[in-house]
Amino acid sequence: MRNRKSMAYRVFALVMVVILAILFTFPLYWIITGSFKTGKQINSTTPVWWPTEWTLKNYEKLMSKFKAPLWELPVPFSQYFTEDGSLTIASTGPTVPAAIRWLLNTVWMAVASMLLTCLTAALAGYALAKKRFVGRTVVFTLIVCAMALPKQVILIPLIREMSSLKLYNTMSAVVYPIVGWPFGVFLMKQFAEGIPGEMMEAARIDGASELKTFTAIAYPMIKPGVGALAIFTFISSWNDYFMQLIMLSSTKNLTISLGIANMQAENSTDFGLIMAGAAFAAVPIIIVFVIFQKYFTKGITMGAVKG
Amino acid sequence: MKKLLALALALIMVFALAAPSAFADDAVEITLWTYPIGQWGTQEVVDELIAGFEAANPGIKVEVQYLAYADGDDKVNTALEGGNAPDLIMEGPERLVANWGAKGYMVDLADMWDDTDKAEIFESLQDSCTNADGKVFEYPVCMIAHCMAVNVTRFEEAGVADVLDRENHTWTTEGFIKAVNALSETNPNVAAIYCSGQGGDQGTRVLINNLYGGTFTNPEHTAYTANSPENIKALQLLVDLPGINFDPAINGGEEIQLFRQGILDMAFCWNLIQQTNTDNNDAGRTNDGDEIEFMAFPAEDGNAKLGLGIWGFGIFDNGDAAKIDAAKTFIKYFADGEGTPGAIKASGFSPARSMAEGQDLTQLFADDPITTEYMKLLPMGGDYYQVVPGWAEARTAWWNMLQQIGEGADIQAAADEFVAVANAAAGA
Amino acid sequence: MGKSTGMSRALVRRETIAGYLFLLPSLFFFVTFVVYPMFMCIFTSFFDSNMGKNAVDTFIGFGNYKELLQDKVFLGALKNTLIIVVVSVPTVCAFSLWVASAITDMKPALTSAFRVIFYLPVVTGSVAVTVVWKWMYNNYYGIFNYLFKSAGIIEKNINWLGDAKYALWCIILILFTTSVGQPIVLYVSALGNVDHSLVEAAEVDGATRTQVFWKIKWAQIMPTTLYILIITTINSFQCFALIQLLTSGGPNHSTDTIMYYIYYTAFKLYRYGYGNAMGVVLMIIIAVLSAIQFKLGQTSD
Repeated sequence: MRNRKSMAYRVFALVMVVILAILFTFPLYWIITGSFKTGKQINSTTPVWWPTEWTLKNYEKLMSKFKAPLWELPVPFSQYFTEDGSLTIASTGPTVPAAIRWLLNTVWMAVASMLLTCLTAALAGYALAKKRFVGRTVVFTLIVCAMALPKQVILIPLIREMSSLKLYNTMSAVVYPIVGWPFGVFLMKQFAEGIPGEMMEAARIDGASELKTFTAIAYPMIKPGVGALAIFTFISSWNDYFMQLIMLSSTKNLTISLGIANMQAENSTDFGLIMAGAAFAAVPIIIVFVIFQKYFTKGITMGAVKG
Repeated sequence: MKKLLALALALIMVFALAAPSAFADDAVEITLWTYPIGQWGTQEVVDELIAGFEAANPGIKVEVQYLAYADGDDKVNTALEGGNAPDLIMEGPERLVANWGAKGYMVDLADMWDDTDKAEIFESLQDSCTNADGKVFEYPVCMIAHCMAVNVTRFEEAGVADVLDRENHTWTTEGFIKAVNALSETNPNVAAIYCSGQGGDQGTRVLINNLYGGTFTNPEHTAYTANSPENIKALQLLVDLPGINFDPAINGGEEIQLFRQGILDMAFCWNLIQQTNTDNNDAGRTNDGDEIEFMAFPAEDGNAKLGLGIWGFGIFDNGDAAKIDAAKTFIKYFADGEGTPGAIKASGFSPARSMAEGQDLTQLFADDPITTEYMKLLPMGGDYYQVVPGWAEARTAWWNMLQQIGEGADIQAAADEFVAVANAAAGA
Repeated sequence: MGKSTGMSRALVRRETIAGYLFLLPSLFFFVTFVVYPMFMCIFTSFFDSNMGKNAVDTFIGFGNYKELLQDKVFLGALKNTLIIVVVSVPTVCAFSLWVASAITDMKPALTSAFRVIFYLPVVTGSVAVTVVWKWMYNNYYGIFNYLFKSAGIIEKNINWLGDAKYALWCIILILFTTSVGQPIVLYVSALGNVDHSLVEAAEVDGATRTQVFWKIKWAQIMPTTLYILIITTINSFQCFALIQLLTSGGPNHSTDTIMYYIYYTAFKLYRYGYGNAMGVVLMIIIAVLSAIQFKLGQTSD
């Protein structure tokens, strides 16, 4: 009796999951096929489920519409010495389609946010969990309160601050607030709580320095958590449209999301072009995700084991 | 070792995460932000124009950024707030004069107009580019009369093509009502009052004003009159007519797209650029090949007053005299000089002046039949009222008023609320 | 903190110095780019501060706050924000738990395939996903109207994003599809890590599936659930791109959230002081909610 019921439930569950899976895959399917459709097919009033005529025109347009140098390496801090506050560029790359530069900007932004967040949060989380210092409760309370705060709240002061620091329209303006967001510290603290006190005590008796204690004992134990935080930060900064929107302005400094959003012109939105841009943005990260699936899921999961 | 490397990497990032550009040489570098005004949003075309300018003015380098209408205003506002405004901006008086000019961000360009310029630039444009104190915040380059478009093939099928005076591109309110009623028998979506926001607001405003001869502001441009009996009557008509839907999910661009797809029989957001568009079919054809005619908005006596679009350059006051001078050189080159014909051609619109330093601009489009035909609409250009201070706020409130009416709100109350909000913004 | 009483003064000092040194990099970013702007936000909220080169901020005390209480759009936005959070957080949790439990029993290859699929909308990026959803919701040729009409569910096209009755729910649906990816992955592994000896023992004792689930598995996946609650809440509050790209808060402010309305007030109405006052109100609400959530998490540990 119980078995039959469970069998029926399993079939039902499978059917439901398959239907949902189709629904979840559809946007991506539509983006990719759409990017190969002609203007007529995209603008058709009845859905064209599969391109009847394949074209690369959308990609050609994506690659030719805007151009930008592949890279520009600035001299650090030079914006504080030039008259108009602009950075001095030490090296400029060859001119390429701007979409490629946008993708590069996005990767750079996400990787920088990820590394800086992991480094600062691991140190801070460890300190909050294991160091008994004056003012610890105050700091921690502040962190918990600020953790869920949407960045829109501080939109206006942040823009003013970034411009007086001469960081407006640089990736730093996007990255620093992400690094400053205290969720990572909170997560790392939860992990570091699990480090046994005896091990720390033993290290201290051995005369290990504070830094040594951290690198030799604490860090290996919170490593899975750092992985979790890395992935969480990478994905969320990649998708953090808002910070990019308000902090970046020049065409070559855009991220890929902003670039696509910018293509929606006033009078003739070229959906083929937008689909091509969207596919161009999504496919690389999806490939990375599928290849590293194991690490991704492992990383994410580790984060929750000791939520 | 690995840790050290990671640390070093992180440190480099803290210091080097940045990218705006600068030039090592002594050239004055200025930035131009442009909205997609015809081909002024296409990098290839603009690069060529700029190359011509830089060749003529070796001491100036221009960097161009391309804005979209969707979030362009927000971008400029953010940059202004951050003290990172561009030197030059290309758009119309409703932004340059009524918004950023009124807020004190723009440079007065009055010294750029001598008597010859004043004789050459069309007078109504001069007024539109000047604020109440006589300060000129925009140097106009090109202009157009906004109009609407109808799907002639559909009109013929419905047997109402005779309401259109295709010779003069005019029609009457009565003809409009007759046509909408006839078309709505086969198509539930004859036309859409798009109101999601962003661009294309002129289409909805001018339609409503013309139907029964209402105005949008008083002649002095000091108070809004959108709640006058004529306008209320027009709004009521649009609400009552079958086949006309208030659609808060689409904007002007999407309306045009629906019209081209053959879903809508009329488009209220139209101008020369749309008429000459060949993306998905020949110029003047929908995607399925139906014939498109551009029309003035319907008016009781057929004499519509159209909304003008005016585009030109303005300079943001970033406090750097060298840059302001360079920007003025730039404007002179494109608005009244060597680059003027190219700048106008790139926009796809008609010139804002008759002559530019001896070059006759009136014959610029003589070999282009569509443009020549379109020029018939220019004399119908009406009052340019988009220079009231607080225009940006008023426009936002306008969309909201249409959305409310579309949801069935009381028309008079919604219009009164709009006028109150808009007047408050104008007075502020 | 209780432990510190037993420590010597020298030790406390050492711990304090070390603690702050470890905290320093993080605190630098936190204070400079979060705490300081927050403080400025609170400060400016007491001024009538507008955009304009020569605009002068005038102190108006609680003026902005008084106006907020009478601003119907703000109250509506507050309501919408709470609806989004209250609806999406539990549904995301429940849905992902259900999907996870349905796919964990499958063959490993299938489990991992589904895991990838449900994670797709997260990695595709919100802007790209939004473009497609906008087309799907389209009144005139969108896929929803097409399918529902073909199936005879609706007679007339529904203007999904243009109708105040549906617009907010349409946004919640997209938010939902971009939010469940991570929770599903988390739950799949959490369920995989459940102590099997306990489950078997319960089954021998004759417990039903449901009993096994609630009595044994639920308790073991509790930490995961708490973590998911936190990240989903953060996610829901930050829902901005969807609204900006799909409805811009319309029709008639029916999809405004506080986050969008702050942006709107600042860059469409140019009222910075007023926008900051909204930010402060939201700060207070979120701080209280976080504190509650955190307390709940601690007691149930």
